[in-house]
Amino acid sequence: MINLEQLISPWDIDETLGDLYVPPYIEEMAQQVIKQYDLKVTAMEVITTKADKGGLIWKINTNKGPKSLKILHRRPARSLFSIGAQEYLVNVKKARVPALVKTKSGSNIVEMGGKIWFIADWIEPLNPVSADIEGAKLLSHAIGEFNQHSKGYVPPKGAENASRLFRWPNAYKKIVRKMTWFKDIATLYSEYPASRTILNTVDMFEDHAKKALTMLEQSSYQQLVAKGNQEWGLVHQDYGWSNGQMGPGGMWIIDLDGVAYDLPIRDLRKLISGAMDDLGKWDIHWIVGMLEAYNEANPISDDLFEILLIDFSLPNLYYKNVKDMLIEPTIALNTELDSVVQRIVEIDQTKWSVIEQLRKEWRGGKRK
Amino acid sequence: MKVLIVCTEKLPIPPVKGGAIQTFITGIVPDLRKHHSITIIGRNDETLPEKEVKDGIHYVRVPGGLLETYQEGVVNFLKNNSFDLIHIFNRPRLVLPIRGMAPGSRIILSMHNDMFKREKIDPDEAQKAINQVDKIITISNFIGEEIVKLFPDAQPKIQTVYSGVDLDRFVPLYSEKGRRIRASMRQKHQLESKKVILFAGRLSVNKGADVLLRAMGDLAKRYPNTALVLMGGKGFSDNRITDYIAYLKAIADRLPIPVITTGFVQPDQIQNWFAAADIFVCPSQWEEPLARVHYEAMAAGLPIVTTARGGNPEIIENGKNGLIVQKPEDTQEFVTHLSKLLSSPSLCREMGKYGRIVVEKNHNWNRVIDDISNIWSEVEYKIKHNIGIEIPSILEDENEGLFSSNKPLTVTGIKNTKAPVQSKKRKPVKKYPVSSSPWVNKQLIG
Repeated sequence: MINLEQLISPWDIDETLGDLYVPPYIEEMAQQVIKQYDLKVTAMEVITTKADKGGLIWKINTNKGPKSLKILHRRPARSLFSIGAQEYLVNVKKARVPALVKTKSGSNIVEMGGKIWFIADWIEPLNPVSADIEGAKLLSHAIGEFNQHSKGYVPPKGAENASRLFRWPNAYKKIVRKMTWFKDIATLYSEYPASRTILNTVDMFEDHAKKALTMLEQSSYQQLVAKGNQEWGLVHQDYGWSNGQMGPGGMWIIDLDGVAYDLPIRDLRKLISGAMDDLGKWDIHWIVGMLEAYNEANPISDDLFEILLIDFSLPNLYYKNVKDMLIEPTIALNTELDSVVQRIVEIDQTKWSVIEQLRKEWRGGKRK
Repeated sequence: MKVLIVCTEKLPIPPVKGGAIQTFITGIVPDLRKHHSITIIGRNDETLPEKEVKDGIHYVRVPGGLLETYQEGVVNFLKNNSFDLIHIFNRPRLVLPIRGMAPGSRIILSMHNDMFKREKIDPDEAQKAINQVDKIITISNFIGEEIVKLFPDAQPKIQTVYSGVDLDRFVPLYSEKGRRIRASMRQKHQLESKKVILFAGRLSVNKGADVLLRAMGDLAKRYPNTALVLMGGKGFSDNRITDYIAYLKAIADRLPIPVITTGFVQPDQIQNWFAAADIFVCPSQWEEPLARVHYEAMAAGLPIVTTARGGNPEIIENGKNGLIVQKPEDTQEFVTHLSKLLSSPSLCREMGKYGRIVVEKNHNWNRVIDDISNIWSEVEYKIKHNIGIEIPSILEDENEGLFSSNKPLTVTGIKNTKAPVQSKKRKPVKKYPVSSSPWVNKQLIG
C-alpha cells in the first residue's frame, strides 16, 4: 500500500539501484501531482535523479507538448524562491527560461511528500554550444543577460530570501579553514598515494586563500553589497555548458532551482575558471572574449571587476577537487587525485600573470 | 494575569525536537500557571495539535519555519485575544508587530542568543523594540553585555536569569539511579572498563568537536583506556553528513581509542549519556551565549572542561566544578586539563560533587521560576499602579523593596568570572551518503 502522506527522503543510499530508479511511492505521487494539471500525459521518462537528496526530473509528453516535471530537493520555502524567480524572468522580463505550467487551481506548484513539485515547458530543440571560445562567448553573453534580467526580483510570500550576497567573507573563510582540514587528514593518512602531494601543496594554496580573503576585506566589497539584493539580482549558481544551451530564438537558461541573490560575477567566475580547467591553462584571449561578451549584456564596473579578480585568486580548482578527500580519505587519496593535484598546480602557475595583466589592462568594460 | 508566551518559529513546544528555549519555557510554566492564566504560542508540528489545553496551559500552534510566516500567525492570533503581559522569547523582531496588535499589553523579552546584532535586526527597529519592553531577561551576563554594547540605554531593563536543569532527570552518577543508568548504558555500548569523555552538542565548527578529537590523539597515548562519545548530529533531529562531520570521522578513524557518535538523541534520553560519562567537555570555539549542557553535566556530577567563550565560564569556578580552557583553538590546553582529570579520579569525583551542589542550589527550576515570577509580579504591580514602561528614578527608589529582583542577579556561591572578550563543464553529481546512521570508529573490544 502506497502512503501518499509519507515524506520524500533520499533513496539509493548504497548506490545499488541505478541512476534512473524511482521508488514506487514517488511514482504514485507523480500521478497524483499530474492529476492537478489540465494535461493528458502520454509518456514519462526519467531524465535525472538526485537520489542522495530526494530530487528528480521527468520529461513528460502531453497533449500540450513536451514538459518537464520536477521534484525540487531543497526545503519548500527555499524552492519557492527559485520558482518565483523563474516566473518573474518569464512573465515580467520575457527571458528565455522555460515557462511554468499552472495547476487547475492556478498555482505554480504542488506540494507533496514534503517537497515542491512543478511542471514547466520542455524547450525543444536545445543544443549545447561548441566547446570553444565562440561557445564560451555565447554562454557568457547569455548569463550576463540572465543576471541583468533578474534585477528587481522580489520573492513571493512564504519564500525564503535566498541570498549569498553578504556571505562572501564567510565563504572565503570556510575555504581557508578547510585547507587546515586537508592538512590534518593528509597528515593522518600520510601513507596514501595523494597525501604527500597534498601536503606539499596545501600551504601554498592556503596562502592564496588567505591573501584573497585579505584582498576581499580591503576591496570595495562592502560598499558594493550595500546596494542590496534586488539591485544586484540573481545568480544561477550552477551554470555551464549544460544549463545554458542554444534553442528557439537564442540562448536558453534552464535548471534554475539553485538561484540566489549574489554579485553577478559569481556565475562568470565559475564559467571562466571551468573553461581554464578544460583548457589546461589560463588564456587571456579566452577570458577577454568572455568578459566582452558578458559586459555587453551586463556591464561590469571597475570595482566589481576587481572583485572578480580577487575571486579568481582563490584556489577554487584545488578546493573543488581536494575537498572530497574528507568523505572517504582511504579511497579518495588515490593516485588519480595525486595527478589531478599536480595538474592543478601546473594550471595555477599560469593563472597569476593573466590576473595581473587583466588588472592592468581592463578598464571601463574593455581591454586597453 | 493573563499571560501570552511567544516561542520562536524554529522548534515546537513542548521540546519534542529539543531546543534550549523550549526546555526553558517547559521548565517554568507548570508552577507559574498556578498564579497566572498562561497561553503559549509556538510553531506547528506534525506530532502536535494546532490547539490544546494541557495541564492547565493553553497551546496555540501556527505555521513556523520562516519568521515572516510565523509573525503573521502570531499577529492574527492577537487580533481576537488580549493579554496583560506578552513574554516574547528571543525574537526582538516580533516586538513591534506584536505591539501593533496589543497596544495595551506589557511586553517582556527573554534573550537566549545575540539576536540584537546588526545582521539579525535593523538597529532602528531594535531601539524601538527596546523602548517598548518592560524588561529584557538574558540567559547569561554575556548576552546582556552584548546588547548594552550596541544599545546602552537598554541597560536598566536588563536582568540575567540563568537557566535551570531537571535535577530528578539528570542524576549524579554516584546516586543509585545514576549508577543503574550508567551500568546499563556502558554495557550496551561496550564501555564498561573505559574512561568516557562526553561531548554534547551540534557537530559544527562553532562547537569545536574537532579540537577535542585532535587533542585525543595525544591523550590516547598516555591514557589508552579512554573513550570519546560525541552526542549530537548536524542539528536538531538532523543526521546528515557534512564535510565537517566527514572530517571528524576521518580523524576518529585514525585514533587508537573508541569514538562513538550517537547521532541525534531524543531530548528525553540525553540524561543517559551524561550518567554514562566520566568527564564532560564543551570545546566551544564561538562566543556562545551559555550552553545548557553545562547545567546538565553538573547535575550529572561530572567534572567539566569548558572554554573561555561567551557566557560559558560564568558558571564555572575554575578548579572547583571545572576547568577553563583559555585558548579554545589550542589542543594542548585541552590535553593539559584532561590529563589532570584523567590521572585523578578523586579530583573528578570532587569536582563532580561540587558541580552538583552548585546546580542544586542555583540551577534548580524553582529558582528560575522565582526569578521569572518576581519579574512578572513587578509588571503586575506596574499595571495596577498605572506605572509606565520607563520607571521614573524616584519611584524606583521608593519601591526598592518591592522590586526585589530588579537588580542584576548575583548567584550565591558563584563568582561571576567574566572571560576576557576575544575580539572577534558540469561534473556528474557525486553521491555521498547524506543520511547516515551514527558511526563508531572501530569495533569496540569490551
